[in-house]
Amino acid sequence: MNDKRCMPDVAHFFMRFCQDESCGKCVPCRTGTQQAACLLARITSGAAEPGDLDQLEELCHLMRDCSLCGLGMAAPNPVLSTLHWFRDEYEAHIRTGHCPSGVCSCDEDAA
Amino acid sequence: MKRVSLTINGRTVIARQGDSLLQAARACDIHIPNLCHLNGLTPLAGCRVCIVEVQGRPRPVPACSSKAEHGMVVITDSERVRSARRMIVELLFAERNHQCPVCVMNNNCELQSLAKQLGIDHVRYTFISPLAAVDISQERFGIDHNRCILCRRCVRVCDEIEGAHTWDVSGRGVASRVISDLAEPWGASSTCTGCGKCVQACPTGALFEKGITTTRKGLTCLERLLKWRRRRGP
Repeated sequence: MNDKRCMPDVAHFFMRFCQDESCGKCVPCRTGTQQAACLLARITSGAAEPGDLDQLEELCHLMRDCSLCGLGMAAPNPVLSTLHWFRDEYEAHIRTGHCPSGVCSCDEDAA
Repeated sequence: MKRVSLTINGRTVIARQGDSLLQAARACDIHIPNLCHLNGLTPLAGCRVCIVEVQGRPRPVPACSSKAEHGMVVITDSERVRSARRMIVELLFAERNHQCPVCVMNNNCELQSLAKQLGIDHVRYTFISPLAAVDISQERFGIDHNRCILCRRCVRVCDEIEGAHTWDVSGRGVASRVISDLAEPWGASSTCTGCGKCVQACPTGALFEKGITTTRKGLTCLERLLKWRRRRGP
């Protein structure tokens, strides 16, 4: 992990992992991880809209508060901490459709 | 029977020791919405719709599986739990294909009435709508996985009340599917007795009776059935 990594992309990776690992018993974890991964895919592909960031944050709080077990409660942590420390990277993806680190596919689409 | 006293929404309530918060609230006509729980079945706490706030606990707790304790202070309709319930029901609508106008259980569905009750008129999330299977191999009933919310009422009612354990869940996460026996067609199941309890227990149109649009959903005498079954022994 260094300054060449794209934080929304890292968060997307962890969310995909948690979606695969979710057992599917409780709704916030089963469908919450799926929807959060969807939103992160939209952000990293440069197709996100300004409201998506608030929705993602709201969804993460729901997962943290209402999930049945530790997996669902911990699943939003990578998103929440990257949102806290690297919010500008998320905003750059949404505002300009451009990945500041040059990692995400949105730049390939534009080229 | 020992009793405990607790406060629900500012009202002092007496409950039997061992009762869940949901039972305690129901006993004094305080309504807590829920989807996966059915009286007489083991609580699952999977739908998370019955979450309530308990003073002194950082997170909301599910009312169906939390025991009522002496001196508890419970709030069932704070802004926080109301918005969480709303989001959970929206997530369920987005997860699979829940198109009410073309559903056999339209106007007779617990998910639909819950959405109405919570004032949901639109879904903020991406509709995933995976193409799930429909199994109509059983003589009288059918199962449409597109309408299934994975509440596992059918699994529990078949195991705990009927004692057949035909239903179970395969896969995990969003790939979970309710299966009969070892993922065989329902009609080919050797354990299914065809009693139809799962169809009555299903809160949505996932399990339906063929050719009938007015299936009576919701088993009212489930607890009595369970008592009768326990009296008879295994």
